[in-house]
Amino acid sequence: MSQGLTLPRNTTQQAEKPLHGNIARWLHRITGMVIVLFVLVHVVAQTILHVPAFAAVKADMPWLPTVQSQHWVHALLYFSIVFHTLYGLKLLASETGIRMGYRASLWSNVALSALVGLREVLRYAGI
Amino acid sequence: MTVEKIAVTAEIQRFDPACDKAPRFETFQVTGLANMRVLDVIRSIYENQAGDLAYQFACRIGRCGTCAVRVNGVSVLACQERCKPHMRIQPLKPFPVLRDLVVDRTEIEGRLEQLKLAPLRTTEHPSMPEPIAPKLAEELCHMDSCLLCMVCVSACPAVEERPFDGPAFMLKLRHMAKHPQDTRNRLDQAVEHGMLECFNCDVCTQVCPADLSPAQAIREFRKELMFGGKRPLQGRPG
Amino acid sequence: MTIPPEVLVERVDVLIAGSGAAGMRAAIAAHDAGAGTVVMLAKGPRRANHTRMSGGRYNVVTGLNPNDSNDAFFADTIESGVGINNYELTRILVDEALERLYDLEEYGLAWDRTDVTKYYMSMTGGGTYVRTIGSVDEGIGITEVMLHQMHVRGIRICDFHMLVDAIKDDSGRVVGGLVLDLSKGVWRYFECSALVIATGGTSQVYETNSGPTINTGDGIAIAMRAGAELVDIEFMQFIPISFVYPPSARGYTLTEPAHYGKRHFDPKAEAAHLLNNKGERFVLKHDPIRKEGSTRDILARAIMLEILEGRGTPEGGVLMIPDSDVFEAYLKERPIYVKRLLENYGEAQARLEAPIQVMPSALYTLGGVRIDAWCRTSVPGLLASGEAAGGVHGANRLGGSSMSDIQVFGQRAGLAAAEDARAGGNVPGAGLERARERAAELTKPLLASSGVRPPEIKKRLQKLMWDHVGLVRSGPKLEETLRAFRDTRKHVLPTIKVTDKARVLNREWMESIELENILDIGEAMAAASIQRQETRGAFYRTDFPELDPQWTANLWVNRDGRSLKVEKRPVQTSIGPQPAGPKHKAALTLGEV
Repeated sequence: MSQGLTLPRNTTQQAEKPLHGNIARWLHRITGMVIVLFVLVHVVAQTILHVPAFAAVKADMPWLPTVQSQHWVHALLYFSIVFHTLYGLKLLASETGIRMGYRASLWSNVALSALVGLREVLRYAGI
Repeated sequence: MTVEKIAVTAEIQRFDPACDKAPRFETFQVTGLANMRVLDVIRSIYENQAGDLAYQFACRIGRCGTCAVRVNGVSVLACQERCKPHMRIQPLKPFPVLRDLVVDRTEIEGRLEQLKLAPLRTTEHPSMPEPIAPKLAEELCHMDSCLLCMVCVSACPAVEERPFDGPAFMLKLRHMAKHPQDTRNRLDQAVEHGMLECFNCDVCTQVCPADLSPAQAIREFRKELMFGGKRPLQGRPG
Repeated sequence: MTIPPEVLVERVDVLIAGSGAAGMRAAIAAHDAGAGTVVMLAKGPRRANHTRMSGGRYNVVTGLNPNDSNDAFFADTIESGVGINNYELTRILVDEALERLYDLEEYGLAWDRTDVTKYYMSMTGGGTYVRTIGSVDEGIGITEVMLHQMHVRGIRICDFHMLVDAIKDDSGRVVGGLVLDLSKGVWRYFECSALVIATGGTSQVYETNSGPTINTGDGIAIAMRAGAELVDIEFMQFIPISFVYPPSARGYTLTEPAHYGKRHFDPKAEAAHLLNNKGERFVLKHDPIRKEGSTRDILARAIMLEILEGRGTPEGGVLMIPDSDVFEAYLKERPIYVKRLLENYGEAQARLEAPIQVMPSALYTLGGVRIDAWCRTSVPGLLASGEAAGGVHGANRLGGSSMSDIQVFGQRAGLAAAEDARAGGNVPGAGLERARERAAELTKPLLASSGVRPPEIKKRLQKLMWDHVGLVRSGPKLEETLRAFRDTRKHVLPTIKVTDKARVLNREWMESIELENILDIGEAMAAASIQRQETRGAFYRTDFPELDPQWTANLWVNRDGRSLKVEKRPVQTSIGPQPAGPKHKAALTLGEV
């Protein structure tokens, strides 16, 4: 009868649930580090691969060209870029007055990022 | 449902700064009703097993906020949190420990005193119902149901890592900022007390036992900081 | 040969024991009246008090209900009190409630409204007209705004400072308070010109109660030991409905059945029905006219009798059938209660769509320390205010009148204390010797090497009180209990041992001191109950179940050394002319109006 009216929360099982904010915070930090790490690696790798002065180093590292095209590296990178960007946008938007639930925004962000990451894996698998 | 029993293992942090070098854990077994709260477990231990346990509670129904502890790493009100088969019970962080599960709130109360969280009025009370929109009155009262239990401050990652007083203080400042009779610059106070350090992670919103959102209060302050808003002595509603 | 414990001495002007609204209001009033140093003692953390836990409902005549008037409020209070109130105190309550309401608003509390200047009002059990004001933050809001008012005034608040005794000088004047600083385990003696007892009630002397764990009636016992009279101490209000489970919430008030039915807004409508395990509306045999909208005393008794006679639920309660039509209004007005219903009982109960299990519980001490219009007791230098004081509500209190009481009499106590502080005149060091002796006496359990632990004795006493000096009393059981109390005092109290030898936050030590207070209160309540041979308001005797007009009187209990004197006194019905300000003579002697 009163189903339309929302009850206050039941806060008697707080220690049994994951703290979403901590998950979000660590994901944001880790994805941020992944992106930074990728950029660093990418710059160094491209330098070695294409700058003639480093030809000798390139010869010593026959595995280098394939490193960046591992499917899991792509998946991880794309997941990280999507998650980190969307979460950053969420933070900015929330401070302009746009209200969104912290649970819904976290999990929809993770889902979307995972989809994009998954797409990379499938692309490499030829699907 | 209401008469089932449960056997609980509780590891309680013991520490007497007067004679212990470091905190240690003592393990107790308690059997009681399945709907027991963590406080019921602690009281049972005091009454039957460890008469020298120092713990704090008063109202035991989630209103005074004085029983806050950490259970399995999460800050909660002991009287509200349901007991679990295995529990690690510790005092709130990052406050100094008076003994065992009780923390010293001197600094907290000092900070509250410093913030002057009473409306700074420039007009006398009219000796009749003071006009205020019903919706605003309700909003103010909701914010004023903050227990100052410090559960949010204990759980806040920014408090741990940055010079930030904590979510609860920001919520109280926001409450004053919204109060039509207050003329103090609460935004400046908030910034001075570390408001900008907030990670906007909403851990405080999740752990609050009074269903409040200190993070939302901070977001409102930030919006005000960026885009302007109601400032003291300027265009306040009557 | 034990070394007497060290006692740290300090001199203040006004010492207030108790961190609830009465104590805080007294502190604010004393400070604003220029009292000098005002210090408020809180037995635990400052937010641990009964006001904090209360629903924050405030009875007052604002003029918004054209049918209501101060006279009607006065008449309701006298009727609810069954004619034994102190008429003067009741009149003051009724006349000053509005000003104090505005004070709280000035402090920052925003009372609930239906319109910009129209307060939202509701009914409580027993009143005639709708007049009760409230705010959704309930007692939390009231205590928070007052705490911050104290902060901006720089009034010192001492947490974990338990008042243990009022110390008198040779002339019989209270000149200081002996305090145990539980946070450090040290004794403190605060010399003062005025000591205000605002320590709340005695709910904790009962096994099932609705109050905070610290309310063991300390201040009332201290006042009695200092020579002040107690009035109406045999009267204890039991809230008819409270939570039955979980264990930590057991006994916590669920307010009254009026709130769970349409009677919440309309005095002519129905309150929520109460059913026993046979599905019968048993209240109808006790009050066929008002039914479940009756006063708390009749409802509590009715429920208790059903449970005692075996017609309760397996968990020990009865069932309340709420009216789900009032859910929306109830959610808006009392969201904290809806939350507790959800967390303790379940979603259906929270939505008022399923029966709610309830039981009676000890809530409010109707009697207490006898005071005059300015909260002065018969002992010079000693004042009392709030639940600790008696006489305002008589034999039964209207729901919502406590919030007004503590503001009105808190302010008065503060003004009177400030006047005493200005008069001054105490000799420094006057009570120090006595304070030291008492401190040494009370440190003994800490040093004992064998004996009985306080928690066990406390539980035993709480059970005795609940069983025999509670809702249902009778001569033989009262006599038996009084003997048990005397026996405990003589043989058990001296053998109390505190196993915890830590000085800091020693709960057993605190409880060992509480035991004497509980015994003092228990004895006074039992002794007065034996004298009163009738049933009136919240006081019910199975051997004298009828109201006796000869007992339209008050019982004053006075401690003379170790013996209790219980005297029957006529009800004070004269309302003296009120002086313009707090100019009042310093002492009220026995027999004086």
